[in-house]
Amino acid sequence: MAGVANPMAGFRLVAVDEKKRFMLALIAPAVLVLVFFQILPILTGANASFRDWHLNDPKKTWIGLTNYAYVVRDREFLNVVLPNTFGFLAASVAASLIAGLMLALLLNRQFPGRWLVQTIVLLPLMVAPVIAAIMIRWMFNDQFGIVNVILEAFGIAPIAWLTQKWTAFFAILLTDVWLWTPWFALLLLAALQSLPPEPFEAAQIDAASAWRTFRYITLPMLRPVIVVCVVIRAIDAFRTFDIVWTISGGGPARATEVFSIYAYVEAFQFLNFGRGSAAAVLGAIIIVVFAMALYRLLNRWVEVSR
Amino acid sequence: MSTIEAIQAPRSRYFFEALAPGGRRAFFLLGTVATCLLFAFPVFWLVLTSLRPGYAVYYVHRGSDFTLDNFREVLSQEIVLKALWNSFAIATLATVLSLGVTATSGYMLSRFRGTIPTAWFGAIYVFRCVPYVSWVLPLYFVTRAMGIFDTYWGLLLPHVAVHICFFSWIMKGFFDGIDPSMEYAAMIDGCSRWGAFLRVALPAAVPGLTALAVLCWLYTWNEFLFALILTAQNTPILTVVMAQFVHELGMEWHLMSATAVLALGPALIVTIFGQKYVIRGLKI
Repeated sequence: MAGVANPMAGFRLVAVDEKKRFMLALIAPAVLVLVFFQILPILTGANASFRDWHLNDPKKTWIGLTNYAYVVRDREFLNVVLPNTFGFLAASVAASLIAGLMLALLLNRQFPGRWLVQTIVLLPLMVAPVIAAIMIRWMFNDQFGIVNVILEAFGIAPIAWLTQKWTAFFAILLTDVWLWTPWFALLLLAALQSLPPEPFEAAQIDAASAWRTFRYITLPMLRPVIVVCVVIRAIDAFRTFDIVWTISGGGPARATEVFSIYAYVEAFQFLNFGRGSAAAVLGAIIIVVFAMALYRLLNRWVEVSR
Repeated sequence: MSTIEAIQAPRSRYFFEALAPGGRRAFFLLGTVATCLLFAFPVFWLVLTSLRPGYAVYYVHRGSDFTLDNFREVLSQEIVLKALWNSFAIATLATVLSLGVTATSGYMLSRFRGTIPTAWFGAIYVFRCVPYVSWVLPLYFVTRAMGIFDTYWGLLLPHVAVHICFFSWIMKGFFDGIDPSMEYAAMIDGCSRWGAFLRVALPAAVPGLTALAVLCWLYTWNEFLFALILTAQNTPILTVVMAQFVHELGMEWHLMSATAVLALGPALIVTIFGQKYVIRGLKI
């Protein structure tokens, strides 16, 4: 309305429109792919979670929150799956962050053969997680596995690794840490190499010890990168599927089931697609809330420490 | 806190001096070698298993019969060759498409402020968190309904959807690190917005794009869950074929290992040539 009276306002309107059109054109392809291959499936799943939808008998009648009520009351879900998932998340992220940080510090120094060490350390990035999991299952096999052979050489009785809860959990955790430490190392190494050299020179002139240089200079400067890495990795660890599925299949007797396995088993082994979808939706809500809280918390921690 | 550290710092220096002259160096060397062994061992074991004949595979640590027959047998199977080609094609196409789609979206997030970028960033952050299981199951029905189940497109586009969130986030970081004044200069000289993006900003972001390309290629090459659910006989994918050697066709560890070693080859080449670009380009 002002556009007609004031020629300048009309000009501004057109300019804003052109800018907006450019912005929308830039994200249009991404939005299209996201809508058709992520949002549409998620809505399909959410719809199924309110229905009596067995894969062998898809009646698809609306049953409200029955599926959700079942999952929330399921002892398996509350007492095994949730503690397992969050325990796995915390242990895996903490272990691979510390190991990755140590490796990044090592690789940031100059020494002969550094290139070779770096290539070896990055090996796990090249191995498909499912292959790594198959190999671990093979190495921890109670009869033929190399781990028991080595233990026997030291006079320790062979352990049935994958048929007890905590040893199976350990094997899964070990695989995850092995797979993801290089990822942390890579991102932290990139960050280390982009740090300005002056604070380190000043520390050297002041004869600061290696530990104090690390604690008071390197670590604070790395914190933003560490926050981003931890948030991304925590989200991924929450939805781990393939290595748990391959190593233990959630067994023995569903003792190592994590959230993704629970949803998959409900949907495809018990053929209750509606209930599996309800579990998946609940998990999605939990992780979205958790990830936001984690991001806020870590972000605040970074700013306070600055 | 600080007094404790003040006491500990010199003690750790004495510790290394007490070892021996050069003790620190020996300690460092030992640690490095141990780390390398720990990281290389599962891969070493995989290679060793792939070189053992089928009858000796259960006692890999005993005996010394080695053979290349496993590779010959695996490569004579048509499905493995097809899967090698499919995996390569899918990984390459997914890399090209994902980078194309997310370069523009990351540029938008970096250069503009307002409701559209905020809403878009919120959307990708939320969708990044949604667990794979909650959309890979319905995705099966969706790709079926679209008639692209078990084709290249049916696996490619979901992969691109996976990458959109994380890559847009990282791309934003790349473009944040590039000074926009060059683009303004180009626009004053008569470049359109698209021209400024394509001719000025994009070339400056190439190191970052290369790093992401390497990571994206490796990720797609190694992906399992999507390949398992979204493909069937027509489009065999290498990771699924490998896993089938120890699931459905009996426990053929030697054949599985041989295929896995074959799959490792291209990944090794990509990593060896790509690692320096990755480290140079990945600065969040």
